[in-house]
Amino acid sequence: MEGGLGSLGIEPSILLAQVINFVILFGLLYFVAYKPLMRMLDNRSKKIKESMEHTEYIKEQAELAERETAKRIQEATKEGQKIIMRAEQAGEEARQKAREEASVEAERLIGKAQIEIQRERDAAVADLQSQFANLTVLAAGKVIDQTLDKEGHKKLIEKTLEESSGIK
Amino acid sequence: MPEEPKNKKGCLGCSIPVLIGLIGTFLILILVSFAAGPLGTNLLGDIGLPDWLSIPQPHPELPAEVVFHIFGFPITNSIIAAWVTITFLVVFSYAVTRRMKIIPGRLQAAFEFLLDWLYNLCTSVAGEENGRKFFPIVATIFLFVGFNAWLGLLPGFGSILVHTAEGEVHLLRPANTDINMPLALALVSFVFVEFTGIRRIGIGYMKKFVNTIEFRRGLKQVFKGNIKSGLLGIFAGGINIFTGFLEFFTELIRIVSLTFRLFGNMTAGEILLLVVAFLIPWLFSIPFYGLELLIGFIQALIFAGLTLIFVTVAVIPHEEGAH
Repeated sequence: MEGGLGSLGIEPSILLAQVINFVILFGLLYFVAYKPLMRMLDNRSKKIKESMEHTEYIKEQAELAERETAKRIQEATKEGQKIIMRAEQAGEEARQKAREEASVEAERLIGKAQIEIQRERDAAVADLQSQFANLTVLAAGKVIDQTLDKEGHKKLIEKTLEESSGIK
Repeated sequence: MPEEPKNKKGCLGCSIPVLIGLIGTFLILILVSFAAGPLGTNLLGDIGLPDWLSIPQPHPELPAEVVFHIFGFPITNSIIAAWVTITFLVVFSYAVTRRMKIIPGRLQAAFEFLLDWLYNLCTSVAGEENGRKFFPIVATIFLFVGFNAWLGLLPGFGSILVHTAEGEVHLLRPANTDINMPLALALVSFVFVEFTGIRRIGIGYMKKFVNTIEFRRGLKQVFKGNIKSGLLGIFAGGINIFTGFLEFFTELIRIVSLTFRLFGNMTAGEILLLVVAFLIPWLFSIPFYGLELLIGFIQALIFAGLTLIFVTVAVIPHEEGAH
């Protein structure tokens, strides 16, 4: 056994030394490489997971805010429309009122004018009557002055009428 | 040298004249070294090239040479090389992990890339939980084998001579080319696999090798008088015992195959480089160095991967054969 394996170079002491070398390397690497590396990888994956979750949260928040804003805008639009409608209504009312007032005023003026006219006419009629009476009196006086025959009567009336039309 | 004003016509990052010059230099070097090497001298005869151009004929030796003793304990050049590898790995790892950052720099990213790749290999083969436990040992095997092979390609390995009591010996020799190193790794791998199996499955792990339940049951049947079923049981039990023996033998053979696969490949690579450098001293061995880089990587991956697979198989609880 010694001859065969020995010529290959198998030597228990060196073998042992190499095993020890490996164990030493393993121990050292465990502390300087694997442990920190695993910690780092775990940390990183944790961090990535966290930030993903955070992103999700932020996205949710943004969506919520967006929905809120949309709702607000809708509400504001509705409100604005209401205000416009109200203003239109108010304007319409004001116009209506103005129109009514105007018509009332017009009626009042018309009424006043009619009364005026009426009065003028009454005055004119009264004037005419008084003049007519005067004429009649005049004519009567003339008739009384003369002996009246049929012919003379007729002439007198025509004459009077002629005179009154001349007055008028 | 005439440079093109706009370096667009060039090839391989050089302008055409530079490229031609480089190729010419290459060819001259190759031709001179070919003429100086043993191939050239045989074909062309000695054409009076100076002596220092040729390289002495290599005499590869399988056992590693002892450089010195510590308390009577022989320290071979391969052990020194292993120390170099260990120092390199530990110092490098320490330099990288001393100040690790969540967002890695270049060095840290490269380091993490390698180890992360190994880690993913472990978890993909052995599962998340087991892979995490096996990762340190598998990664250590990979790093040790791989960097032993790669550092062995550096200048200085196999060329620095030191004087000892036993004459001139090389100071450094790639550790994988000394059979003690692959054997040590194979033993570590074997112990790791068996130990993990026993610890995980308990004493039942041993039933894989010594499965006598069926046999004993058959024997009992024979004593009770059920000769026919008893004999059948004994027969089946015999097969179980035999497969257990085969199983045991397989595990032992693994040590041998792991050892000699690594040892053979690495030694062959080393001898190949020596021979190529001997035949044509200059430049010609560069492609072979590339080849050896690849082989070092593959051997490291095979050794670590096989260990990983063996240990994964060992922790799978096997079904009780007897009923």
